[in-house]
Amino acid sequence: MNVNRISAIFEKDLKDFTKNSMLFFMPLLPIILAVFYSRMGDGEDLPLFVIYLIVGVTYSAVTAGFMMMMMAEEREKNTLRGLTLSPASFIEIIIGKSLVTTLLTFASLIIALLIMGIGPLLNAKAMIGLIILFFFFLFLGIGVGLFVKTVGMTTAYMMPLMFLFGFTPMVESLQFEEGSMVLKIFATFPISQMIKLGEDGSWSHIGIVSLWTLGAIAFTYICYIRTRKDS
Amino acid sequence: MGHIIKVNQVQKKFQQTTALDQISFHVSEGEIFGMLGPSGAGKTTMIKLMTGELGKTAGDLEVLGKNPDAFHRSSYKAQIGVLSDNSALYDRLSVLDNLKLFCKLYEKPLSRIDEVLELVNMWGEQKKIVSKLSKGMRQRVLLAKSFIHQPKLLFLDEPTSALDPGNTAHIHRSLRKLNEEGTTIFLNTHDMQEAADLCDRVAFLHQGKIQELDRPSALRYKYSSHAFHITTFAEEELVIENTPDNAAEVAQLIADGAVKEMHTDNPTLGDIFLNITGKELV
Ligand SMILES: Nc1ncnc2c1ncn2[C@@H]1O[C@H](COP(=O)(O)OP(=O)(O)O)[C@@H](O)[C@H]1O
Ligand SMILES: [Mg+2]
Repeated sequence: MNVNRISAIFEKDLKDFTKNSMLFFMPLLPIILAVFYSRMGDGEDLPLFVIYLIVGVTYSAVTAGFMMMMMAEEREKNTLRGLTLSPASFIEIIIGKSLVTTLLTFASLIIALLIMGIGPLLNAKAMIGLIILFFFFLFLGIGVGLFVKTVGMTTAYMMPLMFLFGFTPMVESLQFEEGSMVLKIFATFPISQMIKLGEDGSWSHIGIVSLWTLGAIAFTYICYIRTRKDS
Repeated sequence: MGHIIKVNQVQKKFQQTTALDQISFHVSEGEIFGMLGPSGAGKTTMIKLMTGELGKTAGDLEVLGKNPDAFHRSSYKAQIGVLSDNSALYDRLSVLDNLKLFCKLYEKPLSRIDEVLELVNMWGEQKKIVSKLSKGMRQRVLLAKSFIHQPKLLFLDEPTSALDPGNTAHIHRSLRKLNEEGTTIFLNTHDMQEAADLCDRVAFLHQGKIQELDRPSALRYKYSSHAFHITTFAEEELVIENTPDNAAEVAQLIADGAVKEMHTDNPTLGDIFLNITGKELV
């Protein structure tokens, strides 16, 4: 692992981000929503599911969304080949490219949480869970970015992923029958598990989120192998 | 001098197509080696086998003393430079920011940027945003990028295709200078003039096989009809075999002051390619 190479990619992406108006809006989205919800809450503490809704929006729009678009663009414009033909290893490239996303994710998330009240998340278990959950979305984004061939195609994947994994807490409001199959499935989704963690504090929820993250890593790895084969 | 590339009986198959078959050649250190062939001949595939982007189906391949298992290693990548037919730069960034990235990836001092831009005649254009560059300028920056780390071996895949003569000349001049400084160059082209101008040796690639391999001048000699082509002042066109028997006849024409023009038959590489394969080089 070479720190110089990782930081070179990070610097490049940071400069590129400041010039890419397409990406500028995304980190603002959670902040706007946070303002909106905290106004509705009349100064009372917001329920956990609203807080996790914002977490879900941040992670799906900023974390997964950025990674997807940045990887897809490198592939579409064929600049990824310049990186892979350089001494940089694939791991170095992934880490370098993840840094801008990480920075923006946490800047956006922390501002949004400060607006809404960060209290419910200020405990070790929630923090650990949030970090593991971050990696789930990060790898999901990298995987999809390697999977699709153009930036345009990322939007087609982004919407369903945002709804499934980002807006999971909203499913409850869709009026499914109590105990229905759909609700049971959604209850195992990472954000739902995080809400449960906040309710009962059981480590098992962190375990399930970790499994999702491992799944996302495996997905990214498969997509990576695939890109190597069709070059 | 040692061989920097050794290729022996290499074959590459994609599902049904055999892109390369029974390919054998060596490239010496310091050489400019050309692979000349029409589109679809297998040139790009050959480079990709040597950059580790594709794996061979059969045969032996050794580059810089390493076999393909080592082609993905950083130590190997640091020694090769690649300018492929679809190499790209970061459009929204300046020339300088693009080259800075690669300087750092290869852990070279940033002073290299001025050196390489100078060599491709782009000095003074550092601040320009890549998306604002012409195709020719972009290609010159890509070339600069490909050797910013002073690679021992440079792979170029049709570096001047679709460029105007001015930019082509710039690129040819840069390549000669680089080669003088010791870089070995492996050049794919379908431009016979480019091959003739730059290459110490060329291989003719057609339908995945090498049809001929030699110095351009040797190929010209081999495929020449060895005859004098004489135009007289009477606008007569004569073709006289270059043999001792014909010495008197030629001497007489000269003595008579009848010779307006005289040259030996000198086929271009394009003529030779057509002769061997029955195909034009496009
Ligand atoms: N990834 C690939 N999959 C299948 N066939 C390929 C692939 N790459 C190249 N080919 C085929 O191999 C042959 C040689 O292609 P290529 O090396 O690109 O030729 P050139 O660079 O000389 O134009 C062509 O018939 C092409 O269609
Ligand atoms: Mg080609």
